[in-house]
Amino acid sequence: MKGITRRKFILAGMWGATAVIMNGKAAHGKADFEGYPEGMGVLVDLTRCVGCRTCEAACNNEQNLPVPDRPFYDQSVFDEVHHDGKQKRRTDENAYTVVNRYDAEGSEEAVYRKIQCNHCNEPACLTSCFVSAYTKTKEGAVIYNPKACVGCRNCMIACPFRIPAYTYSKALNPVIKKCIFCYDTRLVNGQPPACIEACPMEVLTFGHRDDLIKIAHERIRMHPDVYIDHLYGEREVGGTAWMYLSGVPFEQVGIDTTLQKDPILSNASEFLSNVPVVLAVWPALFMGFHLLATGDNRESGEENHEPERKEE
Amino acid sequence: MRELSGKGLLIIDSLHEPDTKKPWSFKEKLLLGLAPREYLSQIMRNPLNWAMCIILALGVPLIVYRFVFGLGTVTHSSNDYPWGLFLGFGLFTMVPLSASGFLLGTTVELFGRRDFKPIERLALLNGLLGYLFAVIYLLVDLGQPWRLHYPMFVTWGTAAVLFLVGWHVAVYLTVQMMEVSEAFFEWANWPLAKLFIKRITIGLTVAGIILSTLHQGALGALFSYAPSKVHPLWYSAPYLWIFFFCSSIFAGLGMVIVVSTVVKKTMAWRCDDNFLENLDRLTIGLAKGASMAMVTYIALKLIGIAHDNEWAYLATGWGLWFMLEMAVGVIIPLILFSVSIRRNLAGLARFAAFMTVFGIVLNRLNTAIIAFNWNLYQEIPHIFEIIIAVTLFTIYIITYRFILYRLPVLYSWKPAPFREYSTAVEKSHFPGKEPAQAGVFRRTAK
Amino acid sequence: MPCSRSTIFITIIFAIMSLMTILPERATGERGRIPTEIEIGSLAGLFGEVYFDHEMHLDLADTCSECHHHTLGSYVIDEDCARCHRESEPTEEVSCGGCHTADPFSAEYLKTKMEDPNLYHNDKPGLKAAYHLNCVACHREMGAPTGCQDCHERTAAGDSYYRADAMASGVGGTGKEH
Repeated sequence: MKGITRRKFILAGMWGATAVIMNGKAAHGKADFEGYPEGMGVLVDLTRCVGCRTCEAACNNEQNLPVPDRPFYDQSVFDEVHHDGKQKRRTDENAYTVVNRYDAEGSEEAVYRKIQCNHCNEPACLTSCFVSAYTKTKEGAVIYNPKACVGCRNCMIACPFRIPAYTYSKALNPVIKKCIFCYDTRLVNGQPPACIEACPMEVLTFGHRDDLIKIAHERIRMHPDVYIDHLYGEREVGGTAWMYLSGVPFEQVGIDTTLQKDPILSNASEFLSNVPVVLAVWPALFMGFHLLATGDNRESGEENHEPERKEE
Repeated sequence: MRELSGKGLLIIDSLHEPDTKKPWSFKEKLLLGLAPREYLSQIMRNPLNWAMCIILALGVPLIVYRFVFGLGTVTHSSNDYPWGLFLGFGLFTMVPLSASGFLLGTTVELFGRRDFKPIERLALLNGLLGYLFAVIYLLVDLGQPWRLHYPMFVTWGTAAVLFLVGWHVAVYLTVQMMEVSEAFFEWANWPLAKLFIKRITIGLTVAGIILSTLHQGALGALFSYAPSKVHPLWYSAPYLWIFFFCSSIFAGLGMVIVVSTVVKKTMAWRCDDNFLENLDRLTIGLAKGASMAMVTYIALKLIGIAHDNEWAYLATGWGLWFMLEMAVGVIIPLILFSVSIRRNLAGLARFAAFMTVFGIVLNRLNTAIIAFNWNLYQEIPHIFEIIIAVTLFTIYIITYRFILYRLPVLYSWKPAPFREYSTAVEKSHFPGKEPAQAGVFRRTAK
Repeated sequence: MPCSRSTIFITIIFAIMSLMTILPERATGERGRIPTEIEIGSLAGLFGEVYFDHEMHLDLADTCSECHHHTLGSYVIDEDCARCHRESEPTEEVSCGGCHTADPFSAEYLKTKMEDPNLYHNDKPGLKAAYHLNCVACHREMGAPTGCQDCHERTAAGDSYYRADAMASGVGGTGKEH
């Protein structure tokens, strides 16, 4: 109910009256936006992950990414930390998904967590992009068009999950690199992404997002002793296609639990809703001030308020 | 230049050489009436030029290097810190410091405060150059700068705040060019073009206010996309854009005071008496405007903290840093401004203005880089990134100086040598006409 | 035991028959009618077949239902299953692959998944996950090996998939700082 209407509103802000026409066009079909009904999603059940990194290998193969430093069965990468231990591995131009290991309290076994694009219902990257390089497809994927990208990297600022990576090393054609849900090679054909097919433990359950929400809550209901009673991504930042179940508190596996429930775009809406006001009110207001302030000079002609500089 | 003018050299401030009544040639105007050799030696004598030369010698190759080998080789911009100094300083700081154009335009043209006229052109030029270089910084930072026109003509991302910023900065840059072109047309002796600009001044000024209100605010709104990354003390979803807009007012006014101070100290020869004599009074006037905006800003900041109930953060290290920023950048300058206004101390106001400008730089860098990713890790800009940023700023100073030396910004263009005649004509037929109209009358008079 | 010995016997015979005919996996040797060793190879690819010592696991498990759930009609330990299946008859299908599809995310399967009248079966893992979830969980519990290659050898295809050549070449940079 927020997405399209909000976007329309902003459109209106930009273009004032002309936007009414554009709104008419945009309104077709999707009045209430809560993700697409046929949108697919993935349920990530952290209690199942054993840290085999097969998903990383699958992604690397599927997306033709460069050969990494270490083979994917090498678990020593879990010891990797950056920036004085403040950051574990993250997605980059050569890896659209990574698995990290966490030593969570109250869990004897290490907990592993896969990171990739969560494919938000109302993506911050998409709504922050000023050239519409991103698209949320009806299948649920958030895809990217490198041909439109100017390279402002606002999407990277906006993404609450810090997913998009940039090919800073490229001089001529730097682009954003991120998980695209294997959209073009698999999702459009009704196939699950490569990582999901590869996962031996079915940590990743692929399905219609609506169904996955039911399944997730059922898992929590059936095993309240195993799961934290929260489906991360069901409502965070307006809902994501990829959602997480965990056996340990989410913040202990590097998941930001402080995120708002509203889409990121809603933070800018306060400002954007003021745009049409300024456009509509300012001209008259300031012309009014102008007439008030200079009114008594007007009899002597339009340009009379030119100062007499030499005398001043 | 000071030495030269002391030796009795003429300073071009009109279309014609006073003795021979010959119009100055374009070359003469360009070289400030000096012979090429004199001009060069004048440049060589200035130690500042040598310093800038060294900076350029270092920085220009680095800029070339950046375009040949990519951003990754000269910046610490990363996947966590997508925006570094080029935007943090170049865009987010240069733009508020350039709010002067619309502020003085509004004061003089719309509110009819003619007494600010002597400094209006300087403020307009400051605005134009600030925006121009903000765009240049942006071009250096963009991954694919050759696609800068995409959001304009190729593919529209209408829902994005940045779309609004892009369009507004582009349009406003055009508006400012037209506003400043008035001075250029006087200098180049295109009176008709100047007349046209004068006719649309009010329209341009109103457009300037609208565009400035929106995009100064929009720069703040850009960070409202990053609630989990910008430290809560610098973040406020509903108010961030008002913070940015409000602070741009004292940023712009402070910058005009700073520039006028520098100009008065370094190129007094170029300023006319009207400018020099009025400067102290104008400085105090600008200080009044800035302090009003500062009071508002402090109030808004308090509202912002109260709205999100962020008082507890003030007791943390980040809180101290925040309060330091507020103290050095806003509260102390505000006190100094107040004292300077009450006691009429232009010098103190100038000092406060320098602090204000520093405070704005600090605030924007805090929002974009320092307090960004506060809960992740701190990033320090690459040395090459700093050199390039300084180089671009040096080019900004050179351009600024180049224009100030020539165009009638700090001085008014004298209608000599037909002064008596043309002013007489003006007075009888066109009361209040700009002196440069003289060019028109000269031709008709022949 | 709630069922009589004869019931179990018949069930097992039936089960083994179906296992032999339907399953792609091949059971070799018999102890009674129960296979002693099963070669699980239908999913082989990146890893080779698993030679599953059914007999040994039979001895280790408390009850068949630890792996076969309610399909053998034996005592059901999983309380979630027991709600409906405490008294269930043995099913026609007892092999893993009989219920756990090898292709759990195909469009056709997903279409019907939530329409399953057997409410609690809509979150049934696919075959690969059924093996791994069951095996790994128990192996962990029992202190048995859990490494990938402890059960199945990585094939040449697997080596290239996991970029075993990475060490030699040393290019690329997963997990680089930026």
